[in-house]
Order: sequence, then C-alpha cells, then structure tokens
Amino acid sequence: MLILQNLSDALILACTYILMAAGLTMVYGVLKVLHIAHASVYTVGAFIGVLVFSWIGNFWLALLCAMLISGVFGVLIYRSTYFYLLNAPRTVPLIASVGMFVMFTDLLQKNFLMGPYQRAFPAAGAGLPAIQTTWLSLTPKQLLILLVTLGLLVLLYFLLTRTRLGLSWQAASMDREMAAAVGINLNRSIAANFFLGSALAGAAGVLVGVYNNSVFATMGDLPSYKAFIIIVLGGMGSLPGAILASLLLAIVENFMVASIGYVLPRDSIAFLVLILMLMFRPNGLLGRE
Amino acid sequence: MLSVENLHVRYGQIEVLHGVPLHVQEGEIVAVLGANGAGKSTLIKTLIGWLEPSEGEISFQGERLTHLSAWERVRRGMAIVPEGGRLFRDLSVEDNLRLGAFLQDENTLKEQLEVVYTLFPILAERRKQVSKTLSGGEQQMLAIGRAMMSKPRLLLIDEVSMGLMPILVRRVFQVIRELREHHVSILLVEQNAFEALKIVNRAYVLENGHIILEGQPDELEKDPRVKAAYLGG
Ligand SMILES: Nc1ncnc2c1ncn2[C@@H]1O[C@H](COP(=O)(O)OP(=O)(O)OP(=O)(O)O)[C@@H](O)[C@H]1O
Ligand SMILES: [Mg+2]
Repeated sequence: MLILQNLSDALILACTYILMAAGLTMVYGVLKVLHIAHASVYTVGAFIGVLVFSWIGNFWLALLCAMLISGVFGVLIYRSTYFYLLNAPRTVPLIASVGMFVMFTDLLQKNFLMGPYQRAFPAAGAGLPAIQTTWLSLTPKQLLILLVTLGLLVLLYFLLTRTRLGLSWQAASMDREMAAAVGINLNRSIAANFFLGSALAGAAGVLVGVYNNSVFATMGDLPSYKAFIIIVLGGMGSLPGAILASLLLAIVENFMVASIGYVLPRDSIAFLVLILMLMFRPNGLLGRE
Repeated sequence: MLSVENLHVRYGQIEVLHGVPLHVQEGEIVAVLGANGAGKSTLIKTLIGWLEPSEGEISFQGERLTHLSAWERVRRGMAIVPEGGRLFRDLSVEDNLRLGAFLQDENTLKEQLEVVYTLFPILAERRKQVSKTLSGGEQQMLAIGRAMMSKPRLLLIDEVSMGLMPILVRRVFQVIRELREHHVSILLVEQNAFEALKIVNRAYVLENGHIILEGQPDELEKDPRVKAAYLGG
C-alpha cells in the first residue's frame, strides 16, 4: 500500500516536472538557449491563476487565463531579448536569461505585485472526485493534475506531429537557416513556440499552486534548476527524453525519501542523479551522439 | 530576372566579395566558376538572404530584395540547394520534401512530389527512410528535390558535384539541364568547370571575390586563364 501511495505521489510530481520541462525542451530545440527565465513564467502563471481564481472562483477559467498570459509573457521575453541574440554565442542568451530570472523574481516580490508573502490557492480538486482502487489512489487534486497534464500532452503531441507549425519547429531545431530557406517564417514560428512552451509553464505553476495551496514570488527557484537537470537527463531537446527523465526523477525523489528518509535534502537528489548521469550517460537518457 | 549590382560582402572586418555584378535572364542556366575560397558560397548565401551585403543591390523580377529575409525571398520564387545539402537530417525523405513545399497548398504539394519522384525514382523508393541514412548521392538528389518542391522561378545551387563519383556528377548535371523544362532559371556555382560548362548558357569566373571573366561556354573554354585554372591546362 505504501509503495502504491508513493507511486501515485511520484506520478503527480512527475506531471508538474513534465509540463515545465516540455516547454523548456521546445525552446531549447528551436533556439538552443537554456531559458532559465522559464521559471519566472511559471511563477507568473501561478500568480495570474490565483488572482483570477480569487475574482471569479472558477478553476478552469483561472487556468486558461494563466496559460494565455504566461504565453504572452514568454513571447515578450523572446522578442525583447533572445530575438536580438540569435546569432550571438550561446553563453550570451544564457547570461541574459539568468539576469532576467533574477530581475523578475525580485520584481515579483515587490508589494505592488505578489509581495513577500504566500497566497492560498484554494481551488481544491475543481470539483473532481477522488479515485480509490486497489492499485491506484488519487485525491481530487491529484486527479486534476493528472488530467490537465495528460490533456496538454495530447494537445502538444498533436501539434508537434500533425501540423505545419510542428513540422516547422522540427525543421528549425535541426537547421534554423535552412528552415528559413524553405519558406518558414522564423519570427512567427519561434514566437508560437515560446507561446506554447510558456503556456505549459504557466499551467505547471497553477497546478503546483493548487496542489500546495500556496503561491509565492520565489516559487520558481526550485523549478529553475530542476527543469534543467531534467532536460539534461532527457538529452537536450528530446521531448520523450524529458518526459522519461521527469518520471525517473520524481520516482527516485519519492522513494529515496520514503525508504531512506531525509539523509540528504530531497531537492538535492536531482543533482545526485545528474552527476551519476553525466558520469555514465553524458548524452542523456534518449540523447543522440 | 535576377540582377546583382556591386555586391560587397564581409565577415567581420574581412571583405570576401568586392563589388560583384551578376545577372540571370528568364530561362537561363548560369554558372559562377571559382576555386576554393573564391567566395562562391558567400555569393549564394547572400542571394538567399543568409548573409547581408555591406553594399550593393540585389533585385529579383524587378523588385529590390537586398534586405528581405530568406523566407520572404522563397515566397517570391527563390530556392536553394546549399553546399553539402543541409537536409533536415532526422526527418524522412518525404518530410524533407514536404518542408520544401512549406508555402505551397496541398495540390501543388502532390503535383511537385510527383515531379520530384519522376526525376529521382530512387527517392520514391526511399520515401520513409530517415534522410541522414541516405547515401551521399541520394542526399544530393533529395536536396535538389526539396528545392524543386516550391516550384521555384530561380534555383540557386552550391556545388552539387562535390563528393560525388564522376558518373553521378554527370547524372546530376543532366538533371539540372532537364529542370529547365520546369520553367526554372538556374544559378549554379561550381569548381567543376568541365562539367558545368557543358550545360550552361553563360558563365562567370570569380577569383578572390572579383568577377574576372564573363562569357559563353565556348568562349570561356578557349580562354587561357580558364584552361589553366579549371580545365587542367
Ligand atoms: N563564417 C565565416 N567567417 C569568416 N570567414 C569566412 C566565413 N565563411 C567563409 N569565410 C571566408 O570567406 C572566403 C570565401 O568563402 P566561401 O565559402 O564563399 O568560398 P567558396 O568559393 O565557396 O569555396 P569552396 O569552393 O571551398 O566552397 C574564404 O576565405 C573563407 O575562409
Ligand atoms: Mg563553397
């Protein structure tokens, strides 16, 4: 029973990792930029979610608004910064990205935005039931996270594999110049990529906010590095790899804590996994060459 | 249809093209011959819009497009077969072709697939194969096929013969000549002057970023400078 409980906890944790890492992987694929400020988008998503929820009281509307605004925020980050650094050495956008993350976290802590305190996000399970079977037990909140994540992943899969937009991202991730030379409007294609990736981060923020019933300005600190570890584990730019790595990390984190206890802080396990990975499979779980 | 005036292109401080003039008429096949490092690829990259000239003008079908992006040039009817092919390596043959027709509607896509598969039957056989696993020759054919998918008015070709065995070189040039039936004008840059001069209407010789000669193939073949540098004396 305890094992099963841990497994469903791990699954839920993995869902939030997946949503963060998916957006980051998409951005990395097209721009080859390590977009640290993605974690700010996550926080902004949670913030918008909690605001809308406190005004209207409807979780789904709050989620939708959070995703839309996060998407727009992501596009603005791209157009104001990375857009001008497309041909610069890769460390330049990386440094810009860290700078933006620090700046946004500071800004969000100001009183006219989120302030230095926590807000409750009492959306509970948005009216969903609990699930209680012999092999799976989920609270309404957990079911909500699972359903939203699965829904978004299906949508993402469809976009990536069945649409011209998805094809254009694949082309741009392999050779950006050549993609432009078959007629792909890179400005539009990359902006759409940022929009979708950032909307996913916004959704992750909302879900984590609801799950912990807490939203605060520095909530992006952990995901800012964990999402990275995940995309490195997954093989830089491989979406299936990122999903697999999310599951792996969540399971390891849960079981280490459950079986060995807090020998080392839970959130440092990710680094341990990263170090092991770099030693034995430096190209990631599903990475190429 | 293509006219280039006084084109200067530089990488940082170093200027590579020093005022190149060039023109291609409707329906013409034109070659630019030049040795390694002459600036041939630089010229092609500037024409498609990957590089911006520091000076000079490029116009195409009467329109100035010196500062347009690559995708805007493709929309106006240009296509490129770049040096080395630059296929979308993890995608299948058919996805590469589909991307070539990115701006076309579904009907044109089908039509052009038919055209390309007729030109290169081997690509039809391999349509599901991942492009990086094709042989060098097949990759070149796919690169040409991909460029033809957009029904271009002007095709820019950067050294298709590179790395191919002589028999394939001849085959590829034959295909290029056949492309003319599809109402496409062609600008190709080449080191292989011998084969190129057999199929073109006109050619330029580019040396260290300067156009030093221009003429019909038979005139150029007789020119002592061309003989010495490109035709083995
Ligand atoms: N990205 C770059 N940065 C700096 N210099 C460059 C760059 N690309 C090319 N060059 C230089 O510009 C000159 C012309 O290069 P280009 O590639 O146009 O030659 P090419 O005629 O195509 O030669 P090849 O026959 O070997 O392909 C060379 O001296 C090359 O070293
Ligand atoms: Mg070259």
